[in-house]
Amino acid sequence: MTQHPAFGLMAEFDDPEPLTAAVRAAREAGWRRLEAYSPFPVPEAAELLGVSAAPIGFIALGAGAVGAVLAAGTAWYVSVHVYPVNVGGRPLNAWPAFMPTTYLVAILWACAAALLGMLALNGLPRLNHPAFFARGFHRVSEDRFCLFLSAEDPLYDPESTARFLRGLSPLRVSEVRGA
Amino acid sequence: MSDNTIPVAEAALRPGAWGFRLAMAAAGAGVVVLVASVAAVLVRGVAVWGNNIPHVWGFDLIAYAWWIGIANAASLFAAVLVLRRHGLRTAVNRFAEAAALAAILAAAAYPILHLGRPWLFLWTLPYPAYTGLWPQFGSPLVWDFWGIMSHVVVTSLFWFIGLIPDLASMRDRAARHGRMRAARAYGILALGWRGSVAHWHRHQAAYRLVAALVLPLLLWAQTVVALEFATTLVPAWHQARLPLHVVVTGLPSGLGVVLALAAVLRQALSLERYVDERDMDLLARLLASAGLAAGMAYAHELLVGFLEEDPTTRDALAARVFGGGAPAYCGAVLLSAVLPQLLWLGALRTRTLIVVPVGVLAAAGVWLDRWSIVVGGLLRDHMPAVGPEYAPSVAEWGLLGGSVALFAMVLLLFGRLVPAVSMFETRHEESETEAEREER
Repeated sequence: MTQHPAFGLMAEFDDPEPLTAAVRAAREAGWRRLEAYSPFPVPEAAELLGVSAAPIGFIALGAGAVGAVLAAGTAWYVSVHVYPVNVGGRPLNAWPAFMPTTYLVAILWACAAALLGMLALNGLPRLNHPAFFARGFHRVSEDRFCLFLSAEDPLYDPESTARFLRGLSPLRVSEVRGA
Repeated sequence: MSDNTIPVAEAALRPGAWGFRLAMAAAGAGVVVLVASVAAVLVRGVAVWGNNIPHVWGFDLIAYAWWIGIANAASLFAAVLVLRRHGLRTAVNRFAEAAALAAILAAAAYPILHLGRPWLFLWTLPYPAYTGLWPQFGSPLVWDFWGIMSHVVVTSLFWFIGLIPDLASMRDRAARHGRMRAARAYGILALGWRGSVAHWHRHQAAYRLVAALVLPLLLWAQTVVALEFATTLVPAWHQARLPLHVVVTGLPSGLGVVLALAAVLRQALSLERYVDERDMDLLARLLASAGLAAGMAYAHELLVGFLEEDPTTRDALAARVFGGGAPAYCGAVLLSAVLPQLLWLGALRTRTLIVVPVGVLAAAGVWLDRWSIVVGGLLRDHMPAVGPEYAPSVAEWGLLGGSVALFAMVLLLFGRLVPAVSMFETRHEESETEAEREER
């Protein structure tokens, strides 16, 4: 029976500061395929990883604009063309009265897009991931901070990478293998 | 900073104690009453209610506007906590969000039932039907449909986005206990959250963005309800100030409910560490301020109303405030504006036995204000003879009591199945406090 090749190496820390330092060191060493895990947001580490949250704002803005145009367009089309009702000779295109629904639908679309956009950018939902095979990974949702260096990175070499990670004084370094 | 949020997860995983079962049974009985009351409307029609001409709205709109007010103030509180990043334990926002969601679910049932033929509520959607009918976008009733729908979806999203990482924590805790079925259920709901730093970064951005977008939506939800009244010709309702009045006087209800819930939950689930005295103090001050704002709205109502040139409008206000509507009006002012002022006394703010009744009574006071507007507002009209009085029927009381039971049941289930306070925010905060201590 052949053993499944390793997915990569996982280093475990017990505080956000050593994790941030480890991410910085790995980025300076030229690592590109790496992921960091924490039980709460660590914005400094995210910045070092080159993650920007700006796209979510643009996605929400774009979706809100589309929702607004659709809502206003529907109200205008229905009231002027499909089902015009003459109320004492008032104009059919009563645009101020269409604004409340436009506003509501814009917010609705922007909120839904913010959530769905966030999930899509994060690649979620995804129930399987190599990281879940790591020893003690379940403590990341409580009080552990982990740095994962993927075997897919050209810099990866089981021995030298493990040495590099141990140099960052983690609690432990372990190889991540599929079950 | 070790296992400091474990008790929160454990509180949700522990089998229910007798107190929980008792509360659940009581809420279940109430929900049976709700089902019976809804069935009565569906089978026999709206004639089982006490509604008549001119009282076409009655209990239904009272309860709707009331629940929306609770949902709004609770969401407002949750959103403000999320948007201010530091200084406060943001953990309390979780059940404020849950309360908002439960209240909006209770609220959403009313306008649909009120249609008379609720199964035709789809007609409020713009779609090409064989009837050739389309909604009228100039009507506040159509705005209301979009308002409720956006409110339900956005409130649920706000709640769910905040919950995703905590569901992942629950998944890992349940797996540790060997409860694989629970772990799988939480795991699917957590969408495979693995706590990646990059994911956190985007998650926080989306969470704050939705919190910011909830704020303008809240103003609008109550405004639309008020506009439905303001666009009629009924003298007591035909007021430009009505939207402001309904939004402001609604605040004590939601804050009162969240305050009472916070006080009960921290004792029932032993979460004193996570919802501490400072949180309770802040909530109580907020309720007192909301009462003050509501008091100003009432004062403004009297001032503007009696300066009104039109004698019919003045007469309608007088009948509502001093005449036949006086009990409801005075009850509303006393309970929702005057009573919360007690909470300016620091000694009373942290006493459960004081804040729970004050919070619940403030919510009851807002209900009386809605009664005063909907029923009391029809005591005088432009016509000299006004028509029969309004007397709610058993089916209406059943609907109101039943929706309170539904609200309680949804919250009980939330308290049991998902973490009652935001675990990741508590963890974050504790690590920051520790770091500050080390720097010193």
